[in-house]
Amino acid sequence: MKIDLHKKNYLKALLLISLASPALGLCGEVGTALKADTLRLTPFADAKTVGSLNKNDAVDILAKKGAWLQVKTKKSTGWVRLLSVKRGGVSSSNQVKGLADVASGRAGTGKVVSTTGIRGLSAEELKTAQFNETEMKKLESYTLTPKDGQKFATAGGLTTTPLAYFKGAQ
Amino acid sequence: MHKLLIGLMVSASLFSTQSVAFDFGKALEDAAKQKIEEVKSGSGAANTEQAKTPAETEATKSATESGATVVPDEKAFNWKNPSTAEEIALGREITGSILGAAPLVKDDKLQQYVNKVGRWVASQSERADLPWKFGVIESSDLNAFAAPGGYVLITKGLYQQLNNEAQLAGILGHEIAHIVQKHQLKVLQKQQLVNIGAGLITDKLSKGNKLAQKAIGSGAEISARSLDKEAEYEADRMGVVLAVRAGYDAFGLPEVLQEIGQTNKTDNSVALLFKTHPHPDERLTKLGDSAGNKLDNLKAGKTLENRFYKLTK
Repeated sequence: MKIDLHKKNYLKALLLISLASPALGLCGEVGTALKADTLRLTPFADAKTVGSLNKNDAVDILAKKGAWLQVKTKKSTGWVRLLSVKRGGVSSSNQVKGLADVASGRAGTGKVVSTTGIRGLSAEELKTAQFNETEMKKLESYTLTPKDGQKFATAGGLTTTPLAYFKGAQ
Repeated sequence: MHKLLIGLMVSASLFSTQSVAFDFGKALEDAAKQKIEEVKSGSGAANTEQAKTPAETEATKSATESGATVVPDEKAFNWKNPSTAEEIALGREITGSILGAAPLVKDDKLQQYVNKVGRWVASQSERADLPWKFGVIESSDLNAFAAPGGYVLITKGLYQQLNNEAQLAGILGHEIAHIVQKHQLKVLQKQQLVNIGAGLITDKLSKGNKLAQKAIGSGAEISARSLDKEAEYEADRMGVVLAVRAGYDAFGLPEVLQEIGQTNKTDNSVALLFKTHPHPDERLTKLGDSAGNKLDNLKAGKTLENRFYKLTK
């Protein structure tokens, strides 16, 4: 019975995924395990174990459902908690460097090239910054009441969900 | 100004090394108390009244004696136990200085939108009563800032990385958590009590915009410094929970961390963020460890990409 329910959910999940996949940024990407974790048959904590991940294992991300990602490793395919996997390969962050620097107009000098109109915000700039009353007044002019927030939430169909803060892991 | 800043830095490093060796905190507290007494009684080195006219001095006195509403710039700033008004005044100085370095993006609709999302998320916190203010600033960096009393700024560069409202809610939730937990305020308090104790500054503050400058050097300097790693992890945990409470998908903040984690460590756009925060991989790992199964069975939250205010790049 339990397994049937999971199967049903699994099919539903597959259906949802096939409908919504263009919006799911993670799918079709490679990922890397941030820690050792269990791969499960369905996206449920009590689902059957179908494999395991070691830290830094490369995975293909196939689908996302709630708190879970469906991933494919060299050995198996299964569902793992989303927070156990990061996007990209182990060393992928070093491959885009040149491109990113060129794109942001900062190749070489480490300084912002003013003609591009792109500017950063360095520690040095923050240390020497002067108070700007005009900008501050402008910021203050946008202040909303709790009621405004509530109206906005209602318009978006947002409803509150009680959830206690969780403690830091030891 | 510059001298003062150097003084602050020196004393901050003094604190971090000496506190290991002995109970510096207690000694500090005593020194601070003594200094405050000196100021109250109008004696000691802290009594630097020459800049004030007799009328101003008189006004300060009567305001203090009558127990009138605390106006931070006309009374000794209560660093031991700042009032909400003092906290807000301090946050205003810090935020105004960041705005001096990077002004608001000139887009009313964008600023209004961010205030709506932020106000709603902040209403789920324990400090819903603060006059929360949110702004998007002109910077291609990926970063966001919080200042005491309810000020939150996010860079245009980071905003442009976002795909939906749940992600924005997660980022704002992280910054809101810093303010709820008074993370920056506590750092400033500690530092100020050190300075007062060391006789580097007085706890008398001059008028107007000089408040933060006198107290903390350049107002925005605190924003260029790191908090404890644990404060960042806590803000991540609370940010996720605040977004969930507001009805959003729980994974907005983790998705943004995933995205930022893809950025090269040596890219200038993340230089300050990576200097002041643990790497996104570490943050995701910690978040996963502490969340455990608590996010498994939530009712589906909303991402609201349809009404997300898109900024052209």
